[in-house]
Amino acid sequence: MRAYLHSVPEPILTINGVTKDYPAVRAVNDLSLAINRGEAHGLIGENGAGKSTLMKMLSGLERPTAGSITFEGQPLELRSAADAMKRGIAMIHQELNLIGELSVADNIFLGRERTTLGLVDRGSAETAALKLLNQLGSNISPRTRVNRLSIADQQLVEIAKALSCEARLLIMDEPTAVLSERETNALFRVVNQLRLHRGVTIIYISHILPEVRRLCDRITVLRDGQYVKTVEPREVDDADLARLMVGRDLGELFPQRAAHLPDTVLEVRNFFVDGWVRGAGFELHRGEILGLAGLVGSGRTEFAEAIAGVRRRRSGSVSIIGEPADIRRPADAIAHRLAYVSEDRKLRGLHLDLSITENTTLANLRAYGFPLLKAAARRASAQEHARRLGTRCATVQQRVSSLSGGNQQKVALAKWLDTKPNVLILDEPTRGVDIGAKQEIYGLIHQLAAEGRSIVMISSEMPELIGLCHRILVMRNGRIVGALPGERATEADIMHLAAGLRENRVA
Amino acid sequence: MIQDKPNTPSAPRFHWSDVFETWGGLIALVIMAAVCSLLPATRDSFLNPENILNIINQKAFLGIVAIGMTFVIISGGIDLSVGSMIAFVGGLAVVLMKKIIDSSGTEWLGVLAACAIAPLAGMVLGWITGLIVSKGRVAPFIATLCGLAAYRSAVLVLMDGGGESAFGVSSFEAISSTNNGIPLLNWTDATGREIALHLTWPIIVFISIAVLGQVLLSHTRFGRYVVAVGSNETAARYSAINVDRVRLITYTLIGLCTGIAAVLLASRLSGIDSSNTGILLELDAIAAVVIGGTRLSGGRGRIWGTVIGVLILGMIDNVLILASVSTHWQGLVTAGVILLAVLLQRSRSE
Ligand SMILES: Nc1ncnc2c1ncn2[C@@H]1O[C@H](COP(=O)(O)OP(=O)(O)OP(=O)(O)O)[C@@H](O)[C@H]1O
Ligand SMILES: [Mg+2]
Repeated sequence: MRAYLHSVPEPILTINGVTKDYPAVRAVNDLSLAINRGEAHGLIGENGAGKSTLMKMLSGLERPTAGSITFEGQPLELRSAADAMKRGIAMIHQELNLIGELSVADNIFLGRERTTLGLVDRGSAETAALKLLNQLGSNISPRTRVNRLSIADQQLVEIAKALSCEARLLIMDEPTAVLSERETNALFRVVNQLRLHRGVTIIYISHILPEVRRLCDRITVLRDGQYVKTVEPREVDDADLARLMVGRDLGELFPQRAAHLPDTVLEVRNFFVDGWVRGAGFELHRGEILGLAGLVGSGRTEFAEAIAGVRRRRSGSVSIIGEPADIRRPADAIAHRLAYVSEDRKLRGLHLDLSITENTTLANLRAYGFPLLKAAARRASAQEHARRLGTRCATVQQRVSSLSGGNQQKVALAKWLDTKPNVLILDEPTRGVDIGAKQEIYGLIHQLAAEGRSIVMISSEMPELIGLCHRILVMRNGRIVGALPGERATEADIMHLAAGLRENRVA
Repeated sequence: MIQDKPNTPSAPRFHWSDVFETWGGLIALVIMAAVCSLLPATRDSFLNPENILNIINQKAFLGIVAIGMTFVIISGGIDLSVGSMIAFVGGLAVVLMKKIIDSSGTEWLGVLAACAIAPLAGMVLGWITGLIVSKGRVAPFIATLCGLAAYRSAVLVLMDGGGESAFGVSSFEAISSTNNGIPLLNWTDATGREIALHLTWPIIVFISIAVLGQVLLSHTRFGRYVVAVGSNETAARYSAINVDRVRLITYTLIGLCTGIAAVLLASRLSGIDSSNTGILLELDAIAAVVIGGTRLSGGRGRIWGTVIGVLILGMIDNVLILASVSTHWQGLVTAGVILLAVLLQRSRSE
């Protein structure tokens, strides 16, 4: 599917020496790049490399400090996202930007409502929305309120919204980070259709390198806001791309597996959560890394939230080191040295308009003095975590909203590490994180386990479960349907269990 | 230095809007003060210790309430009931004081009871509001709108529509007297009279509460939780913060502040008038908080900003009187200053 529409590549978009300065950093630095009409162009780089910033300038959300952009032969000077849409440029943002109280159809046509006689025409909007969603292989009803949808479904609505305005340039900033394999495949089909039948040009940002290589005709690598190189997928492999991104050889992605101790640290029995979990449980040993696999919507997050006391459970018991632990509220979990790092960092994980220090120490303020908090100690601790996780920031007093997506994820992780948990439940900890940082996070998880902490890791990326975990539990429809030994599991094994093609009931 | 990989070096760029975002209120205050000290109409009467102390003294009641309001607003709430509440708890205190003095004949006992009952009653009422908002899940605007109506009605009932005077209870009147407090200096006023200027009790209490408030907000766990709840309630809940309790405490706190202000106000006015005392106080308090740079939707704010806001409001009143401008202009000038202060402090990132 890598056929160019035009025999001679003709640039649709030319970026000329563009620079973008934020108060403390230069996010994009004198960058030039040409995108050809009808191609799918991949954009990769570490967290904070400036990918989103560059795209925001193409979609009217930011204006360049210096440099110029030409689109379809005309200079591109945008004041708003609406301007960009008028020029035929649509962007799917890294963070969801939907209005929770409105319906799916209303969100898709927000700002471009279809009207008859001045009144919003719900019916035709819903029909059109349904058609778009069907193209994406989704069966969401256009009338559902968006805040009732799972994150994956919300992402699909976001994609449908971008498709709906018939853009000639479609920018996708990590659209698949929250999608399952099936949804990703559906998305790729749509993207290829758009390119081949409608000649739409695609710019595609992702940290999942195989995906980029599969979809794109050319791939451009950015580092520290600068252009590094443009390559064709068939001349490079993932390791080459990683090297270009990080600027050095990464070596092994996963740390050497180490054995864990036999004693049980956490025992979860017979959990029921209304609508999500139907009798799930497991045992976790000291120093063990336990994977929790399953399709999006299989109840993994809800199960984890119930264990950590942020979600109400109907029944179920927890014991920690043999003692029953009655965890009903998040504070109980902290008291039992159990921490849950949520998957949705923007809504649940972080206070975006507070500083890194503030966020890092928030769940553990008790440790920083009473009645007065020790500001220096908090700052030092935030700095220590930032150093250990490799968070890229100018200072720890910076607001979290000014960090790139992947670096925000590291702050969310730091916040819970600061509570010094014995049991750590990580929900998609590497979502949106670049490959170098992923390696660092794997190393960190491994190190935490080696220190005798126990880890439950929820992930939709099967290779990382296989590469890191001692044991992998597979969840389907609110039940644990199988347990696989980490070193011998294959993606096919996990998929079979997750999709219900084979059953291997345990516990 | 956290950045281990050499990023493109670039010095943080200077922006005027960053300066205004932080210091806008103070800049506005200084400009206003400068203008008032130069304007022919107010040149002689404005910038002198007597007048300045007078401004602060006049607005100390408002200031104390506004500091409570700052906490409520930062946590994402609002309290419209403080104007009625100050009349009600103040009225309660004065009525009780008179009763005790009449029955026991000991003045100090009555005064002591009044000083205790108003803050206590304020706290209880605030705590109830807090319960309605946090456990009852009623929007703060609605819950406190009910308070605004209910407390006013309650004080009207209590005093049968009239007032209760504390006139003649000299030790009560002395609390807010300008001749009491910490002596500062001797001052010869325009008529040639020599008077001893005091840091009055309302001023002392206002300053103390402001300092305590600032410490509470920036340097204690509770203060940080208030900010966290206002900034993102869901994330706060996931961070094991007891959101309901934080809310409850902020409303209890503003009730306490209102109760304290009520004693000082009742002393200064020598009584409470059930239909007039405290009218529109809630709007002045909210205005002061907003002028001070606190975000009305919560999550960001500062106590010292509120103090500046209070001073700005006080200065507007004062200057108009000094310049003998009709009080009818007051609303227009205030509106202009509020808008200006808020425009100056708009955050560049929003
Ligand atoms: N609003 C802002 N204010 C200040 N700095 C910002 C702002 N937005 C982004 N930055 C900084 O600009 C740099 C580039 O950020 P950008 O979001 O473009 O990275 P990215 O390549 O998209 O990373 P990721 O893969 O993590 O999404 C980062 O250092 C980030 O901290
Ligand atoms: Mg990004």
